[in-house]
Amino acid sequence: MKPATLSYDALLASVEKLPDDGLAVTRRAALDHLHKHGLPTTRHEDWKYTDLTKIVDIGNQFLDGQWDQPTSQATGDLVNSIRDSIEADWLVMSNGIIDQESIAGLGQTGISVTRLSEADGEMEFSTPLSDLNAALLYDGLRIHVAADAALTRPIGILLVDDATTSPGMSQTRIEIELAASSTASFIEYHASSGSADHYANSVSNLKLGDNSHADYVRIQERDRSHNQTNRLTVGLGRDSRFNHCAFDFGGRLVRNDLTVDIAHPGATAAFDGLYLAGGQQHIDNHTRADHRVGPGISHQEYRGIMTGHARGVWNGKAIVHDGADGTDAEQANHNLLLSDKAEIDAKPELEIYADDVKCSHGTTVGQLDETALFYLRTRGLNEHEAKQILTRAFAQAIVSKSPIDSIHEMLTTKIAERLSGLMQGVEA
Amino acid sequence: MTTESDKLESLVNRRYEHGFVTDIAADTMPPGLDEDVVRAISARKNEPEFMLEWRLRAYRQWRQMQEPTWAHVHYPPIDFEAISYFSAPMSDDDRPKSLDDVDPKLLETYDKLGIPLHERARLAGVAVDAVFDSVSVATTFKKKLSEAGVIFCPFSEAVENHPELVRKYLGSVVPQRDNFYASLNSAVFSDGSFVYIPKGVRCPMELSTYFRINAANTGQFERTLIIADEGSHVSYLEGCTAPMRDENQLHAAVVELVALGDAEIKYSTVQNWYPGDENGKGGIYNFVTKRGDCRGANSKISWTQVETGSAITWKYPSCILRGDNSVGEFYSVAVANNYQQADTGTKMIHIGRNTSSTIVSKGISAGHAQNAYRGLVRVMPQADGARNHTQCDSLLIGKECGAHTFPYMEIKNPGAKVEHEATTSKISANQLFYCRQRGISEEDAVNMIVNGFCKEVFKELPMEFAVEAQALLNVSLEGAVG
Amino acid sequence: MLEINDLKASIGGTEILRGLSLNVSAGEVHAIMGPNGSGKSTLAQVIAGHADYEVSSGTVTYMGENLLDLEPEERAREGIFLGFQYPVEIPGVNNAYLLKAAVNARRKHEGLAEIDAFEFLKLAKEKMALLDMDPKLLNRGVNEGFSGGEKKRNEILQMAMLEPKLAILDETDSGLDIDALRAVAKGVNALRSADRAIVLVTHYQRLLDYVEPDHVHVLSQGRIARSGDKSLALQLEEKGYDWVREAANG
Repeated sequence: MKPATLSYDALLASVEKLPDDGLAVTRRAALDHLHKHGLPTTRHEDWKYTDLTKIVDIGNQFLDGQWDQPTSQATGDLVNSIRDSIEADWLVMSNGIIDQESIAGLGQTGISVTRLSEADGEMEFSTPLSDLNAALLYDGLRIHVAADAALTRPIGILLVDDATTSPGMSQTRIEIELAASSTASFIEYHASSGSADHYANSVSNLKLGDNSHADYVRIQERDRSHNQTNRLTVGLGRDSRFNHCAFDFGGRLVRNDLTVDIAHPGATAAFDGLYLAGGQQHIDNHTRADHRVGPGISHQEYRGIMTGHARGVWNGKAIVHDGADGTDAEQANHNLLLSDKAEIDAKPELEIYADDVKCSHGTTVGQLDETALFYLRTRGLNEHEAKQILTRAFAQAIVSKSPIDSIHEMLTTKIAERLSGLMQGVEA
Repeated sequence: MTTESDKLESLVNRRYEHGFVTDIAADTMPPGLDEDVVRAISARKNEPEFMLEWRLRAYRQWRQMQEPTWAHVHYPPIDFEAISYFSAPMSDDDRPKSLDDVDPKLLETYDKLGIPLHERARLAGVAVDAVFDSVSVATTFKKKLSEAGVIFCPFSEAVENHPELVRKYLGSVVPQRDNFYASLNSAVFSDGSFVYIPKGVRCPMELSTYFRINAANTGQFERTLIIADEGSHVSYLEGCTAPMRDENQLHAAVVELVALGDAEIKYSTVQNWYPGDENGKGGIYNFVTKRGDCRGANSKISWTQVETGSAITWKYPSCILRGDNSVGEFYSVAVANNYQQADTGTKMIHIGRNTSSTIVSKGISAGHAQNAYRGLVRVMPQADGARNHTQCDSLLIGKECGAHTFPYMEIKNPGAKVEHEATTSKISANQLFYCRQRGISEEDAVNMIVNGFCKEVFKELPMEFAVEAQALLNVSLEGAVG
Repeated sequence: MLEINDLKASIGGTEILRGLSLNVSAGEVHAIMGPNGSGKSTLAQVIAGHADYEVSSGTVTYMGENLLDLEPEERAREGIFLGFQYPVEIPGVNNAYLLKAAVNARRKHEGLAEIDAFEFLKLAKEKMALLDMDPKLLNRGVNEGFSGGEKKRNEILQMAMLEPKLAILDETDSGLDIDALRAVAKGVNALRSADRAIVLVTHYQRLLDYVEPDHVHVLSQGRIARSGDKSLALQLEEKGYDWVREAANG
């Protein structure tokens, strides 16, 4: 018996229950692909530290249940509070169902939003979880930013789930395209509520046209009993710029994959992230940058703070393909472990097949600087306060790098709240 | 420059190709591996029952195992049934009778490397009785060692004379089922070295000196076991800088080190097996399991390696830091030129309290070679105060080669301090022009830069070997730039 | 000593030198000035033999021989020294080691025995004192982490140790504060002799206050637009490079 497998029969039955719309053919193709390749286990190098068994269990229970079609639950409060706290044009998906009103309500020019089911239904799927996503997708969004458009307000993409009584599973998919020389910023926000088990699987594809510029912030604040897998794939056009920052505060089992593909010269990608985990949280960030041509830049810095029984995983991979001369790839990963049972597994990888390159990585695992702690205490702060200050400063470094200035304050507050929760040992 | 490197290539190739086609001496078992072959090996070596049982267990486990595929190397499948698992050392009839019969170009390489005269004959495979002086030198060393109570002998001799030590420590660091190649080695290993340093003894000499003069061709499944008893100290050097003749394509050696309380083992390797020709044809597959167990408090194990040979190298000398305050070190220079592939690194497993480890890895890729560093630093929950520093640098020479870094850090203790740094650089045209403008030839400039890149590791080698290792690196990279 | 006749050279298909002629004799100090992009550095690199520059026509004769036939290291061993505008960092290679290797390469070429380590160190320290250099720099990687001033002094130190017949200093004065400039000038002046020629490539007149040239040439668009004595440099300082350019065009 394979260790973690979703029941094919149940999957097939579910796919058949979905509407016979523009996505129907792709769903079947994705299901076949998934059936052929299966889900990864911890024997797969990319999944060495993250075990999907729990997610598969939830999936199987969900598929066995009497779901006909996912329906939007009472997530209104959650949606409203997030909408109120962040200035953006929000597109909302609840339990995988698009809020049609939010599409209609978009006020900016230069952007058009359609449902994937209305379009030709083409979706990329190549990994097991994007297969699963495409196979079970109810519907997704296609966002197009017109050439030379410069959006003035961030586009918010709010992905909320509610699991009240029985195990839930949701699929969301966003396909974004920036035409040449356009500029746009995005906030992808994940949140959830409810006491039942839940698994959300989201896929986003971002294509940057020549000389375009995208700022992208992902905030994940799911209930700490809920699970999530997320994939963002970015293709960079000539001279395009991609600035990304990810914040993981919530979730039980969380796995984020970020893939950046530099196939045109002059592209620059900066992607950073912060993960704060306590209790039984497991947060895994995998990044991959493919440099296929040069010159090109990919710089990344991820920071993590773990306490309780939490486990952080960070795996950064930079591949400099043959001929990608003039590549500049940098990886940094810094971690603080605050409790005896916390754990970090870090793996910065470089694969280099070109010689005119500048590549480096640095990874540290450690504690707060003793000298700094002592210094603060000589200034009259008690140990706990001093630790709080230094820990916040450690996290704040990522906020400062985050591209959308208007949400810095909100992020700073959130980090402070989350850290004070983690450091009071309530989740030990 | 090309003529220089051509010369070297052709000389190395000719020697080795000759080796591969030589009829194997009569005392060889037919190819293939089953329990009978394992029994026959054990019987020929007159081993006691416990050794046979040990080998058979390993064999049965090996049968259940899969060849590993995770390393960043590519090679056609190995037919394990086509290998002969026991061949007696080459008979004297097949060997050159004296240095006069040896290819003069091989001797020229020895000269370049500064190999002492009295060692050249042995390295070139001249029949032992023609090697002047070595017997008496060896006898002198042997006397000195036995006065100190040091046991240093072929593995088979240790099985015969010190079965209790072998029984106690064999497989205690690298268990029979540790990995595919270690299991294979456990089942069929031919011979190797055994070292025991008694309590409180500081081994009176570098075991390298003795080894280089005395060690015979120990074959492809070599097994080494070194035990440093409490408070003892030993420095051991394996291999040598001269190109090594060898008929076997697959090498699967196992090295086990045990350091008890306050003991220290320094293990240095210079690996220069035949790397294959400039088109990637031939060459040794070097699949080695090396592991040291810092079993006692305050013990220390230090690995230093200079790897320039073999077509494929798969090797991760590791330290299990079990004792409190124990120290593990790994210093490595790995050079891959032409079509060589190297996947090498280390594992540092922190178990005891206040354990510390240092990793310095310098990878040089040239030609079409692929060179990967793969390392694991694991800090177990109980390992309070663990410290690791890893520095992992790659130097690229040319456009067709690859340099890869795969470090794993698994940290389960909040008091751990782990730092990993990696850089990649190349020898730039500007650097070479600058040196040439100062009157230094391109080749000398490359050597200068390469030696500068590696000096942190070279300084860990025993003095006389550091010089040879530098020369070896220069020879290995001849023709790499241009 | 050096005769350049109608030299044309290009890099990456762009012609930089467009028929440059210049004669330098032993014992002379020449200053070559000119605006950015006029070809000053290209001239220096071509004389030293940088492979990126392609000579399409013209001749360069050094000590009666065709210089263009020689490899860079052969030119160096024949006594040509180039002080780099941007001295190259070679991490890991000891500064003293490079210097000694360079001195010995030259000595070997001249049929002399290698310099003894003790003698070498003594000599190097003497020269460093003259240049006001921290002796610790000898044990660092070549130019690794050196300040701008330290790098330029290091070039002069190498020149002093190598005792070239023809020294070309490519913008050795750029980016130096006045103390460093004085030290560099002192080093250059100490090397002035009847059997040595020095070519100073510079953008600024300032260096020439400290090292007095016998001839001044102004380069414009890959040719020598004007030659004269040191008064030309002062004139240039006063009127700016546009004056030369206009003169050349007009």
